[in-house]
Amino acid sequence: MSEKLIIGIADMKMAKGEGMLVTYALGSCIGICLHDPALKLGALVHIMLPLNMETGRKNPMKYADTGIRETLKQMEAKGASRSRITAKIAGGAMMFKDGGSGSLGNIGQRNIESVKLNLKKEGIRLLKEDVGGAVARTLLFDVNSGLGCIRCYGRKELII
Amino acid sequence: MAIKNYDELNLLELDTLREIGSVGTGNAATALSQMLGQQVRITLPEVRIMGYNEAIEWIGGPEEITAGVLVKLSGQLSGIMLSVQPLEFVNIVLESIMGRRIGGYEELSELENSALIEVGNIMISTFINALSGLAGMDVNLTVPAFTVDMQGAILAVPMAEYGGQSDYIMTIGSNFVCDNRQVPCRLLMSPDLRSLNALLRKLGVSDE
Repeated sequence: MSEKLIIGIADMKMAKGEGMLVTYALGSCIGICLHDPALKLGALVHIMLPLNMETGRKNPMKYADTGIRETLKQMEAKGASRSRITAKIAGGAMMFKDGGSGSLGNIGQRNIESVKLNLKKEGIRLLKEDVGGAVARTLLFDVNSGLGCIRCYGRKELII
Repeated sequence: MAIKNYDELNLLELDTLREIGSVGTGNAATALSQMLGQQVRITLPEVRIMGYNEAIEWIGGPEEITAGVLVKLSGQLSGIMLSVQPLEFVNIVLESIMGRRIGGYEELSELENSALIEVGNIMISTFINALSGLAGMDVNLTVPAFTVDMQGAILAVPMAEYGGQSDYIMTIGSNFVCDNRQVPCRLLMSPDLRSLNALLRKLGVSDE
């Protein structure tokens, strides 16, 4: 059995060769799997918000823009090539769809838009996605095969 | 001096918030007791300031399925209130209101969903009523929203809402004891930072 690494909120972990990266209960947050197939190097970032407007910038992984940029930098430091790196994303749901959440603003939707925009800006190809809706997702990412598996409550497992 | 992050609260301020939590949950427990027709007590209220991942461990792990009722606060105090209802609590409510138990959330009917929303809504409203009376602040509540899903994702809603201000989440709340059984139904309030400062000023404990 390969090693399992758990990624918390506003967190990022990387694995090379073998390994399973897991992040639990993505609601409006988004899990971004970045993969260099030639090196079998994979990273999973769990971002919470679309844009980093903090002055201190203590935690880049909390935001889509700085999270993606920082992760790519760290992958490149391990020898990954930007032209080979591909992305798969999951999350961006709206947990409370009726009533009160109208005034909550749809953070999930803004996260999806920001993640896509930032991947494009960095020149990373988005291969697969399972985003939006109103379900929480647990994302498992196998760095060896580059396949992602999504577990939801009341839905069948989905491979991306 | 106004605080800029939740972890800057001093002991007096924390005590005050705990007292608010105590009065709020006390009132909510009375309302719950009237709805269920049985005695309901509360555990010692807590004020917790936690990192995101710590908060999710504290509530019992990310993937556990629970029902959540969410109400947004606005007006002089803005924030989010959540009533997190684990299966055991759901069954206590259903048993006394509808006269049946369920084995899992997927068995919930429309009507039973509405009952849970209403119970959550009444507890939240009573809590806020007590708070607004105590602090003399006008607070508006939205219509309650309801979901059944992984609790990690439910708790992430207030985190994401105030994530731009802070790396911590603050919750004020406690557990309920019904029927001599401790039931982990959590009633949680997460105020935003500006409102928290306003609240402490109103109560006369902000040292400014």
